[in-house]
Amino acid sequence: MEKKLSKKALSKSFHNWYWGHLTCFSQEHMQTFGYLHAMLPLCEELYDNEDDKAKAMNTYTAFFNTEPQLGSVIVGMTAGLEESRANGDESVDDETINGLRAGLMGPIAGIGDSLVVGTVIPILLGIAMGMSGGGSPVGAIFYIIVWNLFAYFGMRYLYNTGYKLGGQAVSFLVGAQGEAIRDAVSTLGGFVIGAVSATWVSVTTAFKLVNDAGETYLSLQSKLDEVFPGLLTAAVIILCWWLMAKKKRSPIQVMLILVVVALVGCFVGFFDPGLTY
Amino acid sequence: MSINIVQALILGLFASLSSMPGMGSSSVGNYTLGRPLVGGLVCGIVLGDIKTGILVGVAMQIVYIALVTPGGTVSADVRAVSYIGIPLAMLAIKTQGLDAASSQGMALATSFGAMVGTVGTVLFYGTATINLVWQHIGWKAIEKRDYKKIFLVDRIFPWISHIACSMIPTVVMCMLGAPVVEMIKTYLPMDGLAMKTLFTVGSLLPCVGIAILLKQIVRNVTDFIPYLTGFVFARSIGINLVSATVVAGMFAILVYRLKLLQVSRPAVAAGDAYDEEEDI
Repeated sequence: MEKKLSKKALSKSFHNWYWGHLTCFSQEHMQTFGYLHAMLPLCEELYDNEDDKAKAMNTYTAFFNTEPQLGSVIVGMTAGLEESRANGDESVDDETINGLRAGLMGPIAGIGDSLVVGTVIPILLGIAMGMSGGGSPVGAIFYIIVWNLFAYFGMRYLYNTGYKLGGQAVSFLVGAQGEAIRDAVSTLGGFVIGAVSATWVSVTTAFKLVNDAGETYLSLQSKLDEVFPGLLTAAVIILCWWLMAKKKRSPIQVMLILVVVALVGCFVGFFDPGLTY
Repeated sequence: MSINIVQALILGLFASLSSMPGMGSSSVGNYTLGRPLVGGLVCGIVLGDIKTGILVGVAMQIVYIALVTPGGTVSADVRAVSYIGIPLAMLAIKTQGLDAASSQGMALATSFGAMVGTVGTVLFYGTATINLVWQHIGWKAIEKRDYKKIFLVDRIFPWISHIACSMIPTVVMCMLGAPVVEMIKTYLPMDGLAMKTLFTVGSLLPCVGIAILLKQIVRNVTDFIPYLTGFVFARSIGINLVSATVVAGMFAILVYRLKLLQVSRPAVAAGDAYDEEEDI
């Protein structure tokens, strides 16, 4: 008789992934235990024989790490593959499953980072911060509700789609069409992040030249804004990017460099937050 | 304003739930409870001043609006930002007698949060290291085919890592924080160089968060154009984020269609691709 995973086992597997993908994180095996925990209810239902079950579980002891929201699709796909294997499909073995997992976790992490963490979350947070004027809790509550509904149902949908369609679920991600999608997503993400930084980040200089009569005849900030509004903000961001991407500095090193920049800048009067009691 | 032991313990519990490898997992933990905006609400409720909590949370959220952890590398730890940094910044603002909504209040909150957040990476590596012990138990159990233990390894044992690296540090720092904040007020006057620097750092730090994200997106120099276009739309034309997303979606569709067109005409595509994909 053909084995079929029950709705209950699939739902248990999904929830094990949802609540456990990053809980037992280490630098050595990032999401491996979360993955094993997600596969356990499936392997227990598919295999009565202890040896077959152990063989199946051993497949998932290989290293795994990806963007967890979008990565749900990979977990769903392996659920489908494991079902085929339990039904005696010879084309599915450890190598195909782990080849698929290893091949997809990189691209999915790239798309997930720019789409989920780089676009969806900043947009929702941006809207929420707009609603928080004067210290109102409405924005935070809005974010909690909208993000969690999106994440839970989105991940559930991806898991089920992965299970139903198998490789087809992500076939659009590989090849020419995948490249087009990745380019489109990074255009979208880049544009939104540009808007986020213009809205929420502001670097200004207090540098001024004053004549004998005490009148300001040159304010650097307004001159810079005449060239390109927000020039200083954009320049500092691009400097940070250059330090990290081209000079291979870690984010913490860049932060320390900024501390030095701030100290020197305040000392010479380039920066002045205008503090008084 | 001070923090008592019960309040500190509640903050410690939220810290355990909310970090990148937190017990609330990424959707509910890291991406909800860990976000400083939500942390501000939680701290505001726990400390009995929601207004200040939210205002401080918003200020810190800007620094970490684009906090990505590519491949599990972290530059700041949200549990420390949200549940150590926010309570301490709230204390500092109250002691300095600042208005949390003023730009000084926001800058003070930002530099406080960033300082604590950077120091908090120690907590992240601490948690991940202790988890190695549980994973070791897990491998042993899998060898013995004792699969019941996977639940304990994945969901129960890491709580011990969090008691050590989230709960205790949060409680200690929140309890010791008040006198330290008081001392800062006495020794570092607001118009001195140290305070000016601290506030300036606060306004510069969000740039790092944005740059981390740009590092993911920008491969060629031309990839800066969508970023700068978004910047111009928001800064010079003044559209809000939702409208910016709609415009961005339009560009994304154009890019997608053009790219596909290129593929369906391979001869042209080959020549174009060569010109465009030159590295900087």
